Amino acid sequence: MAKTPFRTEVLTPEGSCFDEEVVQVSTRTKTGSIGILARHQPLLGMLEPTELRLYRSDTDIVTYAQGEGYIQVSPDGVLLLVEEAHRPESLDVGDLRDKLRRAEEALSAAEAGTEEQRRAARDRRRWEAFLQIAGGAAG
Amino acid sequence: MSASQRDVKNRIGSVRNIQKITRAMEMVAAARLRRAEQRIEALRPYAGAIRRMTRQAAEAAGSEISGLAILRQHEAENSVALLLVTGDRGLAGAFNSQIIRAGLRAAREHEGDGRAVLYSAVGRRGVSTLNFRGKEPVGRYVGFTDRPSYADAREIAEELIAAYVDGKADRVEIFYNGYISPLTQEVRRETLLPLQQATILEGSDPEDSDHADAADDAHSSHHALVEYEPDPDEILARLIPDYVEISVYRALLESTASEHGARMTAMRNASENAGELIEDLTLEMNRARQAEITQEIMEVVAGAESLT
Repeated sequence: MAKTPFRTEVLTPEGSCFDEEVVQVSTRTKTGSIGILARHQPLLGMLEPTELRLYRSDTDIVTYAQGEGYIQVSPDGVLLLVEEAHRPESLDVGDLRDKLRRAEEALSAAEAGTEEQRRAARDRRRWEAFLQIAGGAAG
Repeated sequence: MSASQRDVKNRIGSVRNIQKITRAMEMVAAARLRRAEQRIEALRPYAGAIRRMTRQAAEAAGSEISGLAILRQHEAENSVALLLVTGDRGLAGAFNSQIIRAGLRAAREHEGDGRAVLYSAVGRRGVSTLNFRGKEPVGRYVGFTDRPSYADAREIAEELIAAYVDGKADRVEIFYNGYISPLTQEVRRETLLPLQQATILEGSDPEDSDHADAADDAHSSHHALVEYEPDPDEILARLIPDYVEISVYRALLESTASEHGARMTAMRNASENAGELIEDLTLEMNRARQAEITQEIMEVVAGAESLT
């Protein structure tokens, strides 16, 4: 059975990078992976860095490396507010490795329980996820 | 051609070359300015959506958001962090120096009141000037002022937030060139932390609020059905720091637009000055040439007279 399309927009601080009808969105929230089809229950969720998949159809899938953000599902459609969204092919593996290394250094230097430590942990999670996506795109 | 004429001619040539460069720089700055303006525009929908989401989450949370560490005012203000937003390059009129001047003036005020000052700087100009004055910045953010990304703003904001929450700074202020038009920029001084609750719940952008109210009305009937993942308090705890990130990002973008505007104006003035200089020098050269001709005629006439 054909899936019902719904409008989905990906909005970043640098502008809108995707605004089309899709049949399925799959991403990851704080509580785990999530797939959204048409007429999903209204939702407000926090997104974690992961590979965002937007299904124009079952075979035509657009993917992004998605940073932290929020997802809002309403009867009008899906709005993804993310801090960054990159096409996997535009990711620079060397640069990401550098960033990951710096985050790990910052994490081991930070004192336990500080905001500094939480921040380094967030950075590490993000660069790890992006690196995985970049690796997937390259291999 | 006499030596003095050749001299003047060479000078005209070099001024003309400089004029070519300043004209090119003016054009480059104008193109970059347009891009920077577009990026300020591009931020608006995102900032508006974050604000609407915050309202929704705050309503659903139903609790006071003032418990968050970045909203809580520290009891005693013993140290202040100042973030000076400058550019990586000079040749932009007073763009960099006016920020540094304003920052140092504020630092003197704070120090006069017995508060320690921690400096951070965006842009090579700010970093090197602070170093030169022996006020070594703790945070140095360079290499992106031509085209700041949100990730740059996030890095800065997170470090400032960490300093505030971990008690290294009791207040954080930002100094940047606010963009008004290509010809006008103004130095702005804003308090980033503690974050003012008012900036969150009452939209500061008037153009957003109409839109937001309409959207709120449309969704209010669905509020009861909305599912939250995780619960609204936790979402709110992450939405609020985003305001600091967005404020820093907007300041970086405005500063970039201002820098290109200031450089455009500075380079236009330089091109005009070069034009005037060329006119003066041409006049001087013509005069020298005329004097030489007159001299030669006089010599010829005198020679002819001596023969008769």
